[in-house]
Amino acid sequence: MVQMPERHDPAASTLLNELREHARQLATDVAGSLRRVRVRSGDSTVEVEWQPVPTAPAGTQGVDPPGGRPPEPADTAGVGRSDAEAGGEVIISSPMVGTFYRAPDPGSDPFVQVGDVVDEDQTVAVIEAMKLFNPISADCTGVVTEILAVDAQPVEFGQPLIRVTPDPGSIYHASVGRAGTDPIATTNSHG
Amino acid sequence: MFSKVLIANRGEIALRVARACREMGIRSIGVYSTADRDPRTLRHFDQVIHIGPAPGRRSYQNTAAVVEAALQAGADAVHPGYGFLSEDPDFAEVCASVGITFIGPRPEQMRMLGDKVTARTVMRDAGLTLLPGSVEPLASLTQARATSDAIGYPVIVKAVAGGGGKGMAVVRSAAQLPDAFARARSAARHLFGDDRVYLERCLTRGRHVEVQILCDSHGGAIHLGTRDCSVQRRHQKLLEEGPAPALDPVTVEAMTAASTRAARAIGFLGAGTVEFLVDEDERFYFMELNARIQVEHPVTEAITGVDLVREQIYIADGMPLGLSQQDITLRGVAVECRVNGEDPARDFAPTPGMIDRFDPPGGPFTRIDTHCFAGYLLSPYYDSLLAKVVVWAPDREQALNRMDRALTEFDVAGRTVRTTIPFLRRVISDPEFRKAEHSTALVDRIREHRS
Repeated sequence: MVQMPERHDPAASTLLNELREHARQLATDVAGSLRRVRVRSGDSTVEVEWQPVPTAPAGTQGVDPPGGRPPEPADTAGVGRSDAEAGGEVIISSPMVGTFYRAPDPGSDPFVQVGDVVDEDQTVAVIEAMKLFNPISADCTGVVTEILAVDAQPVEFGQPLIRVTPDPGSIYHASVGRAGTDPIATTNSHG
Repeated sequence: MFSKVLIANRGEIALRVARACREMGIRSIGVYSTADRDPRTLRHFDQVIHIGPAPGRRSYQNTAAVVEAALQAGADAVHPGYGFLSEDPDFAEVCASVGITFIGPRPEQMRMLGDKVTARTVMRDAGLTLLPGSVEPLASLTQARATSDAIGYPVIVKAVAGGGGKGMAVVRSAAQLPDAFARARSAARHLFGDDRVYLERCLTRGRHVEVQILCDSHGGAIHLGTRDCSVQRRHQKLLEEGPAPALDPVTVEAMTAASTRAARAIGFLGAGTVEFLVDEDERFYFMELNARIQVEHPVTEAITGVDLVREQIYIADGMPLGLSQQDITLRGVAVECRVNGEDPARDFAPTPGMIDRFDPPGGPFTRIDTHCFAGYLLSPYYDSLLAKVVVWAPDREQALNRMDRALTEFDVAGRTVRTTIPFLRRVISDPEFRKAEHSTALVDRIREHRS
């Protein structure tokens, strides 16, 4: 039988309790410090987010020995940026698989250089995916300290692109990922 | 032959395809979401690419991410596995447009088979019998009532865009129809973005029997026998066996011949499964043609000795089938059990969490397809399949005893995790099932009996 979610479904509170229980147990089952827990009943969501662990470069087979570090599940909001462990640095990471470009087109100056001051709405790079150019914004006010990806090279989802030391006064939207931003089609001359 | 194949899937089926690639000397490209980043999972691929966050629609079901990864890696072909993008004609079209071979049927066939109204019309014209009911979508409740009255209750209302057991409502009497009709339409809109529904007679004592087919691009079409998948809960399969037991050889012959004939008539390409409902008089009715590799394909592999994933890859590469119908001989009986991280006592609700112990069975004629290990985190984002246990034996009795032995050996535990193992063992010990006298009503009967 098809079961449709109903607003006053007595099963909903049971479901919510189960989700709570799952979230609690997930949180205690995996080592590492928690960053965020989210429980939801409509559409059944459980999200538990851990502090980021440095990612091994995804390369060829046998990346790590079996029994390596525990998995890092359910990372949805951490994409696009993450705090460095110390010093409050921000890593802008790629919200998608694509090609990283530092400039709007091959003849132009890069969007940013090391030492530039950027503000949160400023475009710092573009990622080309399926012929669409997706602007990547800084999402914080600060100083660019390092360019981590190579111009015109492929990048994976979550790959670090640019390191920024934020201005201590800037507002930091910790939970806003940029991955959901709609790509913008442009007549950019890359590719 | 392809030199690099990207596997657009996760879990056990991604491994299954990677293994076929490695055996064929093809480099496999794995893709993974943030939830699947554990190196113990990724070690099975020659190269891996992180394509997105945990939710499937933003990673494994994200056409742009998968195609972009395939282009980055220089893949010649994409194997979609089952679920996710495997039956998405738009994805197949995008692959073709960038010069990457989609390992599966042609996009126009996928579109036709995905729409149940078109699929049923086409397959009826190709000679298969449909259950009594409506072929065209039902325009109104009045029409639904007229059709139901004509064919008799119970009836089942199904989504035109549905399939795989999703978006169905069984209606036992005329009084239930208005409510069920409205709910089925609303469910169809919610699940598939298409509220068209049709209805057909519901067989309460029916058996689910399916025929595995392989079709190449040179007009070759063969079948690899039958599988019985009547052990289902809410239209989701739990245990499959092959060949389908307790069927008259005349029925089997008619069913398999009709399947290959219909597949040829529509110019089907690749591996497919023609699903039928069989009534108590062994009349068989076409339900759907699944245009992909299926979860239960190892059952057929065990009784035929044919590697179906390898055949899929050869067919996609344009090779003619290396096997004729005469080359296919069925030997013995194979059974597959789906060990899911679900709690049978709570209506098979998924039980995500850490798998602390995972010690799968071994022994003679016992195959385990799994991506799990001790320390694996069963994620709430994806389906709850932990492992497929497949056994072979010369006859059904021995095969069922062997399966029970294998399930007894299987040690899988986690604090929050429950599995289908105890329930599967109950099915195997059920007298009606042992005698192969069961129908799709078996699971409900066992559950009612217990409560």
